[in-house]
Amino acid sequence: MMVEEELTKEELERRAKVYRGVHDIDLEEYYTSGHRTCQGCESALVMRSFAKASGPNTVVTGATGCMYVANTSYMSTPWAVPWMHTQLGAGGSSAVGMAAGLRALKNKGKLKKDIPHVIAFCGDLGGGDMGLGAISGALQTDYDLLIIIYDNESAANTDIQATGLTTWGAQTTFTPTGSVHRIMQKRWKKNVIGMMAAGHPNVRYLATACATYPAGDYLNKVRKALAAGGPTLIHTIDPCTKGWDYHPRYTGLIGELAVKTGIFPDYEIINGKVYYTYDARKKRVPVREYLEKQGRFSHFTEEDYEYVQSMVDEMWEDWEIPGVVPFRGDLKVAD
Amino acid sequence: MAVESVSVKSAYEREELLNGCQAVSHAVRLADVDVVAAYPIRPYTEVMDQISKFIADGEFYAEYIIADGEHSQFEIGKHAVSVGARAFVGSSGTGWMYATEALVATATDRLPLVAMCGNRALDDPGAFGVEHNDALMLRDVGWNLVWVDTAQQALDTTLLAYRIAEDPAVMMPTAVSLDGAFLTHSQHMVKIPTKEAVDQFLPPYNPKVKLDPDNPVSIAPQANEDWVMEIRRQNYEAGKRAKGVIYRAYREFNEIFGTHYENPFFEEFMTADADFVLIGMGSIAMPAKAAVKEMRRKGVKAGYISLHWLRPFPTEELRKALSRFRGIGVIDRDFAIGTPDLGGVLFHEIRSCMYRSSSRPNILNFISGLGARDTSIEDCMRMIDIVSHAKGDETEQVVTWIGVRE
Amino acid sequence: MSLEQARMKRIEIHYRGIFQKTLAKRIGGDLVKIAVSQGKVAFSNGRYSDSPERDGIPAKYFVYMSDELSEEDLEAVCGAKLEADKVDISIVLDDTMIKGVEPWAWYGIRPVNDRLVANAVQVFVSNRTFDDILSHLEKKDFAYRIGILPGEASFSGLWYYRDDGTDVRVLGAVARADPDAVDIDHVLEYVEKKYGKEKAAMAKKAYEELRLRDVRPGEGIVWPYQKPVLPKWTEFQEGVVVEGVKGQFRKGPRGTPRNPHFKRGTSKTQRPVIRFDLCTKCTLCWYECPDEVFDVTPEGYYDPHYEYCTGCGRCAEACPVEECIVMVDENRFDSYDSPWEMYRKDPKGYIEWVESKKGDERVVPSYVTGMGMRVEKGKKVPAKVR
Repeated sequence: MMVEEELTKEELERRAKVYRGVHDIDLEEYYTSGHRTCQGCESALVMRSFAKASGPNTVVTGATGCMYVANTSYMSTPWAVPWMHTQLGAGGSSAVGMAAGLRALKNKGKLKKDIPHVIAFCGDLGGGDMGLGAISGALQTDYDLLIIIYDNESAANTDIQATGLTTWGAQTTFTPTGSVHRIMQKRWKKNVIGMMAAGHPNVRYLATACATYPAGDYLNKVRKALAAGGPTLIHTIDPCTKGWDYHPRYTGLIGELAVKTGIFPDYEIINGKVYYTYDARKKRVPVREYLEKQGRFSHFTEEDYEYVQSMVDEMWEDWEIPGVVPFRGDLKVAD
Repeated sequence: MAVESVSVKSAYEREELLNGCQAVSHAVRLADVDVVAAYPIRPYTEVMDQISKFIADGEFYAEYIIADGEHSQFEIGKHAVSVGARAFVGSSGTGWMYATEALVATATDRLPLVAMCGNRALDDPGAFGVEHNDALMLRDVGWNLVWVDTAQQALDTTLLAYRIAEDPAVMMPTAVSLDGAFLTHSQHMVKIPTKEAVDQFLPPYNPKVKLDPDNPVSIAPQANEDWVMEIRRQNYEAGKRAKGVIYRAYREFNEIFGTHYENPFFEEFMTADADFVLIGMGSIAMPAKAAVKEMRRKGVKAGYISLHWLRPFPTEELRKALSRFRGIGVIDRDFAIGTPDLGGVLFHEIRSCMYRSSSRPNILNFISGLGARDTSIEDCMRMIDIVSHAKGDETEQVVTWIGVRE
Repeated sequence: MSLEQARMKRIEIHYRGIFQKTLAKRIGGDLVKIAVSQGKVAFSNGRYSDSPERDGIPAKYFVYMSDELSEEDLEAVCGAKLEADKVDISIVLDDTMIKGVEPWAWYGIRPVNDRLVANAVQVFVSNRTFDDILSHLEKKDFAYRIGILPGEASFSGLWYYRDDGTDVRVLGAVARADPDAVDIDHVLEYVEKKYGKEKAAMAKKAYEELRLRDVRPGEGIVWPYQKPVLPKWTEFQEGVVVEGVKGQFRKGPRGTPRNPHFKRGTSKTQRPVIRFDLCTKCTLCWYECPDEVFDVTPEGYYDPHYEYCTGCGRCAEACPVEECIVMVDENRFDSYDSPWEMYRKDPKGYIEWVESKKGDERVVPSYVTGMGMRVEKGKKVPAKVR
């Protein structure tokens, strides 16, 4: 009785169309100028790019966080597509709510055109910590929806507190360096995409990305997620000029280094197969080159740089699926 | 709009033995609901069991989602409404509390979600007997709150809830509260309306504003001191308008279904010549009405008022009604700690409502039935007795706990 | 005597969000403690809606002090508001803010001297001239004074603080600008005790260096920007709904529909200056711009909309062609007009104008704001006008 939404042929082709290069990227902006983000903000480009890649037939929710407060302060909006705020931990559930509502309206003939793309974004705090359960719930449905975790490694909107996805050792207001304790941030970054891929085998597309590096890659990942259908998840690493404390001009460079040092593995998982966007198994820039450009690590000693490098090396040399899943060694049977 | 009624007899197709949860599930089936989000917690769960069975048997179609927790469950409902779908959710006690963040945002975003609350004690301890504190927790934030006394009322009031919530002049979420166990679980014969009658009563949900690519809007942008007063005032005014819409909705309901809900806000039982009156919400009505009849046999002119809509509170109507009596006993099936005169939630609503009444009936408060402790007919007779002997002077005890071992 | 007329000093500190957050807070805190050391009642707070602060967005810090009112009364008169509506002393820590300050949407672009009262004094940390500054300020119908404390704007990071003495120099300048607020002796005593002799000397030097000028009623400009009128509760859509950005995209300057309620232009201390003749149309400036300010022209060039540009510099960093996009001090410009239209009308004239604005020096900021910057020689690339 329930009719799978028949996407028109053109819609399917349009969705699958991947940008061949920067010149191929749509010129229209569906997230446009006039938002209260920091100079050089990478997360603003996460917003702009997914809106552009998804196009006008899209509905969006944004969980509480920087990309909520900054983009609509106050009572104005840079969004040219329908957008609604949702609660901090409701990235996943808001996507399900919209997708379910739209499918029901379509199946009852109350929605004339194609079902819009459903996209929900949340920050590392909203998606990686508080809303992890709701995202897991969403990934278990069969709705076409895309959840994007924009990860600036902090609760940036409340002036930079550590979250479960903050790099080891970083200064935040919850983890200030002190005269007795130099390092207060002792947690290693939570591996969200690996965790969600392992736990939700039905999910057809998951990926990590950096919005501007390599050029066009993230836009294409959004396109592929939308074309794959079903619940999909993308986790972007967003250098944050304010919280990471570097000059806004260098956001692009720092994003590139996050990928090239291998500290943020850049890959896609399509129907269970891993495709590295950047193969850090072969070549990695020393992680120090990435860390020393950020004021949040201005308290680091040699020992701290070496420890972070050791953790990165372990991720790429010891893990069974490097950078993705931390299982080590060949498979054994317990004797 | 003139409502030509489906002939009264045919507005109902059959009668079935149903408990309160099942009665509500029929209303959801008939109300062309688009999205249902479920999550289990005693005592409301069975409404979701029955809805799923209806879907499985093809009796109606809705997207049915098993959420990962009440927070997600209510967010799913809220965002389904935001894209123009009609949604249904529900919970009880501590589950209702886990959804509170979503519940408040739903009200402040003026999204007409309808929810069933199977009233249940809050944790801790994890008691699942009825207490009204769960739904009462929302009494200030812009939810319309209604309590029902019977399974039939539960079905009818859920349909009314959609009609009222979705009225363009209101656009406020509405919660239908059923006492855990006494209403959610006990089965009674319930008349089930026809689809045609419900379709005639309840127009399709077609909001002026929703997330629609043909007319992009941004909902709930961040606000600061420049805006919040105006936003609150808009919601405040909707709360005022709700009463008028409730009267209109009930009139239409009576015409189509031949029911006799004359006063949507509260039911008066043997109050015409009463001196002393008890007032409460939900299933306490049964022992209270029986006690009224017993006390009248003993020559005490007693009466009972069962309050249905707590929000919007029927201030003028209730003040007018209550000002006729010498003494009033408010029965609270909720706990309230450290409050003025240590009185319950309903007690304070009533006493506040009566403050501007020219006549000054004495108002006392009875805390009874917490965690589903039985409130017997004798308990209610004792309440009437206390009220009838009260002098109403300064020294008198305001609050009496009825049914506690002491 | 109403509380309003009591003897008190209301001080506002205009600063660049994040880059001068610590600096403004130190100045404000120190002014409070100095006033207290003079037996006054005093307290300070930030402007609540500035938080969360963002890189570059104008923000304010406040200090209130009185030798006549109780703390409670002072709090009632000054503290119960989120922003001071009248100030006796105004400090501007970055002089690019004279072009106006727009902290958030619907606030509008307001002059930095918006809240001054008669006989107030506004002190600028600046290397500009009085006339240059006055040519940007809104004219008032009362007399007041402006002061210039010679110096560059001091920028820091969020974690890394650039301790270049600007904080103590401003304390010295305030003592000079309005001795009734804090006197120099208490300033020097406080600074020496807290920061040491060398810093006290810097405060004293600033006290002497500060140049003051009387401003007559009517001096200044007619402020070009309207103050937005906020709608009554009956005048906007219920359900916390605002219109999305509407409008038809078209190629060419101002072709991208944008949020009309929040321009962001006042966030920049520098702007990208484009040499269209060198541009290879590689799209990277447009691609990397977090604020979507580049409008693609029919010819395939990228025209920045300066009203919305926040001056982050990512376009200059991304541009592969040397000298094609250079970040230049915002103070050298006085209009937000489309550079592409100037170039099309008169390519050679535009290139000459641009090179004159760029000057010879190229500033390369350190990775961590506040850790200094390199100044390199700019290469003079001859015009390649086709």
